[in-house]
Amino acid sequence: MIEATGLSKVYGSKTAVDGVSFTVKAGQVTGFLGPNGAGKSTTMRMIMGLDRPTSGTVTVNGLHYADHKAPLHQVGALLDAKAVHTSRSAYNHLRAMAATHNIPTSRVHEVIEMTGLEAVARKKAGGFSLGMGQRLGIANALLGDPQTLILDEPVNGLDPEGVLWVRNLVRYLAGQGKTVFLSSHLMSEMAQTADHLIVIGRGKIIADAPVQDIIAGTRQVKTLVRTSAATQLSALLSGDGVTVDQGQPETLEVTGLDARQIAQVALDNRVLVYELTPQQSSLEDAYFDLTKDEVEYHSHLTGGPAGEFAPETAPATAGK
Amino acid sequence: MTTMTETQTSGVRSTAGTKGVTFAGVLRSEWIKLFSLMSTRILLLLTLVAIIGVGALAVLIRFSFLDEMARQARDQGQTLTPEMMSQTFPPGSGFDLYNLPNAGLQIGILVLGSLAVLFISSEYATGMIRSTMNAVPRRTPAFVAKAILLAVISYVITTIAAVATFLIAMPVFQGLGLDLDWSTEGVLYSVFTGGLYVAGVALIGLSLGALLRNSAGGITVLVGLFFVLSIAASFMTFIPGDFWKYVPQYLPSDAGGRFLSIGHTDGVIDPWQGGLIFLGYVLLFLVPAMIVLKKRDV
Repeated sequence: MIEATGLSKVYGSKTAVDGVSFTVKAGQVTGFLGPNGAGKSTTMRMIMGLDRPTSGTVTVNGLHYADHKAPLHQVGALLDAKAVHTSRSAYNHLRAMAATHNIPTSRVHEVIEMTGLEAVARKKAGGFSLGMGQRLGIANALLGDPQTLILDEPVNGLDPEGVLWVRNLVRYLAGQGKTVFLSSHLMSEMAQTADHLIVIGRGKIIADAPVQDIIAGTRQVKTLVRTSAATQLSALLSGDGVTVDQGQPETLEVTGLDARQIAQVALDNRVLVYELTPQQSSLEDAYFDLTKDEVEYHSHLTGGPAGEFAPETAPATAGK
Repeated sequence: MTTMTETQTSGVRSTAGTKGVTFAGVLRSEWIKLFSLMSTRILLLLTLVAIIGVGALAVLIRFSFLDEMARQARDQGQTLTPEMMSQTFPPGSGFDLYNLPNAGLQIGILVLGSLAVLFISSEYATGMIRSTMNAVPRRTPAFVAKAILLAVISYVITTIAAVATFLIAMPVFQGLGLDLDWSTEGVLYSVFTGGLYVAGVALIGLSLGALLRNSAGGITVLVGLFFVLSIAASFMTFIPGDFWKYVPQYLPSDAGGRFLSIGHTDGVIDPWQGGLIFLGYVLLFLVPAMIVLKKRDV
């Protein structure tokens, strides 16, 4: 269980995290979602005691991380896949980390096997691909068989097989009653992995709810209507709180009325409707809805909603 | 809250152990870190060889000098007695034979001091420091473990080199009829204090690495402190007035160097005073480094 209360971090004139409070519960996967530079990494670094909060506190299982007697057994963290000396082998890196807690070498071999690093374990970590670096970071996080797992963008750079592996791993660990806190700027990933979502934008919590609630609750349901008299029906449906988008020929996207109301209007006016489909709002839509005002780095190329497509170039203050 | 406390204390791990952080464990971790790098192992070996090599060179230079003097004396029909040879090296001239074990010390200072800077600055450069501080979130034990390890390694290497250098020197000068062995005044002192000086330099190097978090910057400052500053200060002696002559001896390199010699000279700090001043410099860097390391975001 992770509990943050009024947590803030200010770098110079920039507020990276702005008084956030949240609880991450055990036994489920909690996603930490937000655009680049929203404050995800900074929040996670404060949980791990790497950054000192400007104000507020954050505890893991009731204590500040640094106050635990066996921190690696309490929390395993992947905050930065490159937190490894480039000239040291993966095996020796893990052995050095294990030594601090007197974790036996057999456990080092275990996590190497779990993360599929056997073939490269004796090679210098500096030569690792992004994906292998992520696997080493995850191996490092699992070393102490921790009660709580904090993973910052764990699927970054992983191949599809690796992504699936991380998804199954975190679901398995949560199933064992562990606390899993996972950050991502990819909502599609979160939709498949997380049970609960904490959405952050510009350092503030925008949403904190189960994934299903976020999908259901943020946007009015849209209905796709195919009709032979699109222009006529569009005029009939228009009114207060109703928007009608006329996209392709004979196709309308109606928001503000449900399918039954649309069908009634069509029947009353003898307009032929040959398709009437309520659109399931995706997490992606919900996310764009939530963060459209909070995205810090709009992509000028596409002009569309950024966030997911912007390259991972968080500002120096929030990214380091 | 009670259930949470229970999971903390009774969190049984079958394969990962449950002992938690111990200082012995942190020390072992730093040992693994230091010696798992091929560069460190090669560097330490070469340092040992280089210190002994420079020492042997110093032996050769002094031997040639004495040998030449003896030859010239023979040509003039005189015999150079060992007493006369000893008198050619007035105390404090830098030709004290008892100081021979530490002839290659400057190499040790340069290499082991730089290694100490790198031991922590490379962790900042690679991001390794974040892994270190995740495992040891109290931070200070990791720094202290690094310091102990560097000090001990520096002391051991320097002392081994000093003994080896003296073992080379002894038969050479005994061959000239000079009375030089382990019981010669100052020899044992020299052999066992040289390592203390190098260990102190290593601690200053480690502190610079932690303060500046930058390898090049740390090594530059260290070289400036122990090599450039001393040379620059030696120009002070050209300034008229007696006062300036006595300033350079308070520099870290000069005070530390004085600590390695024996005997009292008027107007010069005594060896023990030199040692204390040098210790003061070590603490001047070590204490702020520990405070900054504890407080700063990584």
